[in-house]
Amino acid sequence: MNIDASSLATLGGGIALAGGLAGSSLGIAISACAGAAMLGQEPKQLRNVIILAALPMSRAFYAFIFLILILTSVLPGLASGQAPAGSGFAVFAVGLIAASAFGFSGAFQGTVCAAGICGLSKTKGRILTNAIMLAVFVELLAVLGLVFSIMALSMLGLM
Amino acid sequence: MLISPESLAVLGGALALAGGLAGSSIGLGWAGAPAAATLAEEPGQLRNAIILVSLPMTQTFYGLIILILILTTVIPNISAMPDPQGTGFAVFACGIIAAAAECVSAAYQGAICASGISLLPKTKGQILTNAMMLAVFVELLGVLGMVFTIMALSMLGLF
Repeated sequence: MNIDASSLATLGGGIALAGGLAGSSLGIAISACAGAAMLGQEPKQLRNVIILAALPMSRAFYAFIFLILILTSVLPGLASGQAPAGSGFAVFAVGLIAASAFGFSGAFQGTVCAAGICGLSKTKGRILTNAIMLAVFVELLAVLGLVFSIMALSMLGLM
Repeated sequence: MLISPESLAVLGGALALAGGLAGSSIGLGWAGAPAAATLAEEPGQLRNAIILVSLPMTQTFYGLIILILILTTVIPNISAMPDPQGTGFAVFACGIIAAAAECVSAAYQGAICASGISLLPKTKGQILTNAMMLAVFVELLGVLGMVFTIMALSMLGLF
């Protein structure tokens, strides 16, 4: 079996998107679990529950941006033969950065949102702002993962 | 050759940053969930809660420092070594040191910050100093992981 540089780079982008989708799924599942229990108790909090439970969804889009970037900007450089040997494997390694950032930040943002949702009925929805603020801290890690992996690609001269 | 020594070195640096991002996400998630619960009880503790929640974020930047160091300083030196193939694998191994240190220390720093946050209402915020002092112990392990990785790279003559 011959795995050339382009297919290794595509694998990197694919793993990043897989990590993003997994992180989003886990995070939404964790927060929506708490949301269903909260709505059983107080159906009026539907709007706040939906806002908080939807926050981990953004990982999938960050990962999609990264995959499109690899497919459109990195692959033509690899295929032209200008890049040094082993560049495909380096792109795969950079994909692991993005996958780890999106996967873990999505899943653990879900725990923060779940805790916020649990506090909704007690505070009559006033916890929403504070819970979003805390969730944005975890969001930051995903944005940093996207930025740092793009930075690594440009430091390798592949973008 | 698909996997050149340079690309193995990139994988090492990428693992270091991926470990930092994963650990910071886990730590922020672990600390953020009790923070949302505490703020539901006492919204006045917002400042202290945010300080304690953001402590595990630093490990990401230690991982980033290792990645940048490997990309800019180590990789140009690899081809001049007597055994480039073995050197690439050695840099990969050094990346695993950093990844383990950043990932585990950030996650468990989150656990300490979580217990500090849950005591904020009881102590009216006075636990902040002590909780930060205890969290700095775990932070130290993240710094030591970065320093020892740099030391190992310089003992290999790559730095």
